[in-house]
Amino acid sequence: MKKILATLLVLVTAISLCACGSRDGDKDKITLTMWCIATKSDSNRASYEAAIKDMEKKYPDIKLDWSATENEAYKTKIKTAVSGNSMPDIFFTWSCAFLGDFVKADKVYCLDNAYKKFANDLDEKMCKNTTYDGKKYGVPLTMNIVGLFANMDILKEVGYNDVPGTYDELIACCDKLVAAGKIPFGCAGKETWCVTEYLESIIEKSCGAKTLDDIFVNGATWDNADVTKAVNIFQEMITKKYFDPNGVALSNDEIKGNFIAGQYAFYMNGTWNCADFAKAGINVKVAEFPVIDSSKSKLGQLIGGPSDTLAVAKSSKNAEKAAEYTFELGKLICKYGYLDGCGLPAWKVDYDESKVNALTQSVAKIVAASDYMVLFGDTAMPSDEAQKYLEFVAKVYTSEVNGKQFTDGLKAAIR
Amino acid sequence: MRVMTNRKNDWISIILFLLPALILFIGILVAPLIASGYFSFFEWKGFGDKTYIGLQNYKDLFDGTEVPFLLSAKNALLLALFSLIIQLPLSLGLALLLGKGVKGERFFLSVNFLPVLISSVVIGTLWKKIYYPTGGLLNSVLRALGILKKGQADILWLAESAINPQTGKRYSYILGAVFVPMIWQYVGYHMLLMYAGVKSVPPELREAAKIDGATDGQINRHIVLPSMKQIIKVCVIFSVTGSFKAYDLIAILATYKTRQAAVPSILLLDQTINWGKYGRGSAVAVLLIIMCFLAAIIISEVFKDREKV
Repeated sequence: MKKILATLLVLVTAISLCACGSRDGDKDKITLTMWCIATKSDSNRASYEAAIKDMEKKYPDIKLDWSATENEAYKTKIKTAVSGNSMPDIFFTWSCAFLGDFVKADKVYCLDNAYKKFANDLDEKMCKNTTYDGKKYGVPLTMNIVGLFANMDILKEVGYNDVPGTYDELIACCDKLVAAGKIPFGCAGKETWCVTEYLESIIEKSCGAKTLDDIFVNGATWDNADVTKAVNIFQEMITKKYFDPNGVALSNDEIKGNFIAGQYAFYMNGTWNCADFAKAGINVKVAEFPVIDSSKSKLGQLIGGPSDTLAVAKSSKNAEKAAEYTFELGKLICKYGYLDGCGLPAWKVDYDESKVNALTQSVAKIVAASDYMVLFGDTAMPSDEAQKYLEFVAKVYTSEVNGKQFTDGLKAAIR
Repeated sequence: MRVMTNRKNDWISIILFLLPALILFIGILVAPLIASGYFSFFEWKGFGDKTYIGLQNYKDLFDGTEVPFLLSAKNALLLALFSLIIQLPLSLGLALLLGKGVKGERFFLSVNFLPVLISSVVIGTLWKKIYYPTGGLLNSVLRALGILKKGQADILWLAESAINPQTGKRYSYILGAVFVPMIWQYVGYHMLLMYAGVKSVPPELREAAKIDGATDGQINRHIVLPSMKQIIKVCVIFSVTGSFKAYDLIAILATYKTRQAAVPSILLLDQTINWGKYGRGSAVAVLLIIMCFLAAIIISEVFKDREKV
């Protein structure tokens, strides 16, 4: 009896193992692995799923084995994988310094060869943030800029039918709002990146995009009188009660919620918010922050650019195939992301975009008319410099340092 | 000869029984500890080349220009102190009260233990609502009580640094605001441990003491507490080391970029993930472990001395 049972057990185990084996159809397929941050709660999840579905039809010889991890945990995961040389074939990354560190460590596959096939669909300037020593290492997905969102119902109450186009008009509008007991701006002090959305825009429109870009990525010093002046302008706006005083103790979700609830007239933040504002059904318009010093800056100079990126590991056994696949996949994620209102297309649009929400379309027009984009400071700078920068930005918002102390402090801490 | 074989068999059995635990202990605790110690001497991003920099990471931590380690250690010690003087006495009081056999004992036990079962994320979110500036529960209560007058600005409990518009003075209550839910959350945990200790006292002893005319206070002081010494010691160790390792509620309420409410665990994560300084993060980890070990040794010594007395 025991022998029979043992034989049966062996048979069952053997059958189970056979069942775990690959199907005939999968035998000739190349399996590529991919890690990304499009978790089920991520707004980009749907665009990833739709793109991967399309890719299955387009590349029947490739099986994509993909997984998503939450943003912060992902940073640890990918860095650990790079450290242990156990990277997936394709991985999500942020452009500039984040990917740059991996490139420096010689862990990323150069995409120059694969790019040739897609050069007509992907403008060279969209690859700027993932190009190191003249070589391309990343496929941009959607891109975003910082937008000045305006609640038109509130602006109408103080006599404005459009977003103020000049800096003087904006200041006059804010004064009217304060006089009417309204709060012009909401900014989340608990998340310093939200403060940078304001500060970087003000600096850019005071001293010019090139100057700011040079400071962020080209090694120029922070010791710049125009930057000092711009920081003082920002703090003057805080002193004049243009900002919600509770903002220093609030998170971005809370501030954004307040804006949607009609508590603020303006909200400066990434254009990834367009879909949420459109869904909320509020009367919102988007514009770029007005020029403060027209001798140094002009409209069309924006904060933002392509940052979400896919890259290919140098350790991949099918690196060249993965490179081509990544470009195709990136193009599709960009397409579905744009159609969903999750961002703007880094790739050329060759499909019907009429169903994209009106707010995102407005942003697309702003981007189309732009001639210079400076990537968000905390993404553009190396991680340790970015953290020092964020610490000073936080202190600017709580008025612990003034413009001079900000630039002097960053000069000493960074350059 | 037979004795020798038996002894050999005993040793094999001992090794075999110990092996799984030993492997886990070495793999999960000892090896990462050694690795952290090793990495703490390097400038390293977590990948790529490592540069040996000796004790520089430790110097950076104590120097305090880039990393507020000393402030974070001070905060952790403060939290441990508050846990000892607020959390544990509260837990003990509840345990003694419920252990005496009050009506609805099980219900109160469950109610007090409930915060331990709730995820820190939920607790953090709830307390965020309590601390919310305009219309938050705490400020509303203060207004209702007349402590916050009409026209007076809301108190920004979770601000790193805020200015009182009336006085022009700068203030920051974030450390205290974060400590309150942290201490509150684990009152139930220690209460349950102590409750088990209270219940382990034989009822005959209580009855005998009562017959002899002892009051509840005398019974607790002379019978219950002495028999709970080991449990109290465990609670003190858990409470202090738990305070040193505190992370979740601080990350939710104050965020990992907090300056005023920073604790070593927050710095560890910030340094390794955001700053990309694995070496410095490892140095924080090493110091954190040393702090925990030292605390455990000191507490054991304190209780040992009392036992001798």
